[in-house]
Amino acid sequence: MSFKTLTMSLFAGTMLAGASVAAPLQVAIDSSPAGLDPHLITAFNSVVIVQNNIYEGLTAIAQDLSVVPALAESWTISEDGKTYTFKLAAGVTFHDGTAFDAEDVAASIRRVQSADIASPLASRVTPITSINIVDPLTIELGMDAPFAPILTSLSTVAIVPAEAETNKEALQQVPVGTGPFKFVEWQPNGFIRLEANADYRVAGKPSLEGVTFNFVPESATRQVGVTSGQYHLLPGIDPATALQLQGQPNVTVEETRDLSYTLIGMNAERAPFTDARVREAVNYALNRDEIIQGALFGAGVPAGPLSPALVNWAIDTSEYACYTQDVEKAKALLAEAGVTTPVKVTMPVLPRQDVRDIAQVVQQQLAAVGIEVELVNQEIGQFVQDWRNSNFDMFASANGGSPDPDEYFYRTFRTGGSTNVFKYSDAEIDSWLDAGRSETDAAARKATYDEVQTKLACQGPAAHIAYGNYFTAVNAAVQGFEIYANGRLTSLVDVTLN
Amino acid sequence: MPLRFFLARLIDLVVVLFGISIVVFLMIRLIPGDAVAIMLGANTEITPESIAELRGRLGLDRPMIEQYFVWISGVLQGDFGTSIWTGRPVSEEIAANIWPTIELTLLSVLFGAAFSIPLGAFMAQARGRGSEVAVRVGAIAGLTIPSFWLGIVSIFMVSKLFPGWQALGYVPFTQDPLGNLSRMILPVIALSLPMLANLSRLVRSAMLDALGQDYVRTAKAKGAPRRVVVYKHALRNALIPFVTSVGVSAGYLLGGAIVIEQVFAIPGLGRLVLGAISERNYPLVQATILVMTAGFVIVNFLVDLLYAVIDPRISRR
Repeated sequence: MSFKTLTMSLFAGTMLAGASVAAPLQVAIDSSPAGLDPHLITAFNSVVIVQNNIYEGLTAIAQDLSVVPALAESWTISEDGKTYTFKLAAGVTFHDGTAFDAEDVAASIRRVQSADIASPLASRVTPITSINIVDPLTIELGMDAPFAPILTSLSTVAIVPAEAETNKEALQQVPVGTGPFKFVEWQPNGFIRLEANADYRVAGKPSLEGVTFNFVPESATRQVGVTSGQYHLLPGIDPATALQLQGQPNVTVEETRDLSYTLIGMNAERAPFTDARVREAVNYALNRDEIIQGALFGAGVPAGPLSPALVNWAIDTSEYACYTQDVEKAKALLAEAGVTTPVKVTMPVLPRQDVRDIAQVVQQQLAAVGIEVELVNQEIGQFVQDWRNSNFDMFASANGGSPDPDEYFYRTFRTGGSTNVFKYSDAEIDSWLDAGRSETDAAARKATYDEVQTKLACQGPAAHIAYGNYFTAVNAAVQGFEIYANGRLTSLVDVTLN
Repeated sequence: MPLRFFLARLIDLVVVLFGISIVVFLMIRLIPGDAVAIMLGANTEITPESIAELRGRLGLDRPMIEQYFVWISGVLQGDFGTSIWTGRPVSEEIAANIWPTIELTLLSVLFGAAFSIPLGAFMAQARGRGSEVAVRVGAIAGLTIPSFWLGIVSIFMVSKLFPGWQALGYVPFTQDPLGNLSRMILPVIALSLPMLANLSRLVRSAMLDALGQDYVRTAKAKGAPRRVVVYKHALRNALIPFVTSVGVSAGYLLGGAIVIEQVFAIPGLGRLVLGAISERNYPLVQATILVMTAGFVIVNFLVDLLYAVIDPRISRR
């Protein structure tokens, strides 16, 4: 990296103005996606291509993270909060020419729920217990108890043609959606090409002729590509790259607070982290501002359990006592918990540059209170395996966020939650999380999640470190691009090229 | 050319490929984290049953020896298996990615070999002159500068000096010949420079050696023009080590191509195999490495045949 930085700065002189560029829009991402089935993919490089470009959900997330209509034109919620009735957009066709109706919506939800498909999105729609097609353009979704985040969750459930319901393979290679762009070809390791959907439900959109996602593994190559105009958009670049591209002619670096965050995880079933006081001591030992300066070049804010992007939910981190570094207090808590220092622990580190840098700063800060961390740099496959099997004392990693608190908290901190790799179990947290799911009164729900955040911030099994900034480099030829905190390229439908 | 010579080389080829098949098969399985774990990644809706089901479907639950024999017997029948991730036949994936690598390697060999001869001959004749020293220093630099650095720097330079030049990615020659070549120039130079440097130094010393021989003095004495002396008498005898070296370098170019494909975003075999390794896409890794090894061995086989053409004494031995 430092080497690339050097070459970058050597040649980062004034670049001449780029030559005229031909449509379609050229996007560069680092690697080829493993598949394109919207119900099976988890990786960023798949999601960024598929969601909101090829596929749409009933609802969508706007730039301010509010829920807006998409394939559902409008909806009503029953008095008891258990039944949602969606009015679907009329005259919509899939890219293969078949008409879209309520049958496709029902099939898509059943597909995500199906154990055979094993979609990672399943938990988002498990509360839906009945699907009732009223007429071809009206569908009712029923739940046994009110489930407030459902509208947000539905934005992530792409509507696929009903014929695909039981097919695990077809959509991985050839996606068929209703979105503004339709799939044309996939050259393995080369690019995926989408062209404008002439029959898109919003007349006159999209303006672009198409979008090509180029797979460019080398960071320096992507940088030169965007300055020279060969690529128009580099979504999700790391802070160091963003720093280098800022101030280059022809390129603007858009940034927004990221919904995903970095964290230090602790295994609540392994000494010494079984004791809540030890976990609190770790928080007191950390200096998040220092970490952000040292590892993220200042581009970030200290992370509480919820992203500050969730303006309606997140508590300001200044309200957490343990977020002010206090080495003496940390030592006292360790002594109180009966931990004899120095105590040696291992920490697998996600192989990503910003996370590696963060882990090093954390290592120094924890050493000061007598926790000696051995960093274990792993290849991604090994890291995921250890993480999934809870085979760690601590770990350093990054997590994607979501616009509703329940989506993140429930699976991560509820006893037996699907991503509760910490093996954390706390009766109080469990009862709050159960209450938060079914509460439909916004103020009461907020109060419940305030409790959750406060407890998790200092004593939870994850020390949330920082919300970095999410950067996207945009070439000057691109007009109308807007950056979304969830990393989706939702605004491509409005983008034009000069 | 005697048939025995040909057959012996063919048997070598089979033995090497067989050995490689075992090594690759084991190596990829020794890296921690198997295909299923990586495929599922952070997908949390997966149950132990579905993991077992996927393992069974991919045949990963069977003993390793059995897996090997299932795979190798398929290969012997021309079936390389299917890619774990995309479900497409591996042979199709390789076919889709092989041309950029072949083109890149071939052009680099041609470029490196073609320019090294005049360069080496020049260095041999002009020994000690200022211009020769400059070329020699350049050759040492070419030998020591890593290709990927050269690649990145050349991309920077070109984007600065010729902003309209399409230097990244790949388009098939049949689709857009000019676009293909303009994208190939930089990677070919970056890839072949170390080879060019190496070969030209080799030609230089072989030429110096040859120029000092009696037959060259004889040729000069009988009044042959300088060109004829240098290129016909001296060069032909200097060519044997040169051809060996070209053969071996061609093999290394295949390795270098992996890095260069990465830098220039070229969808070739190198990208394919790197991606396959990180996905633990066993059938794809195994088949791609086999194909690349076969390429290496076949090049060396051709080199052996070429010896026989340059120096007929070799095949008679």
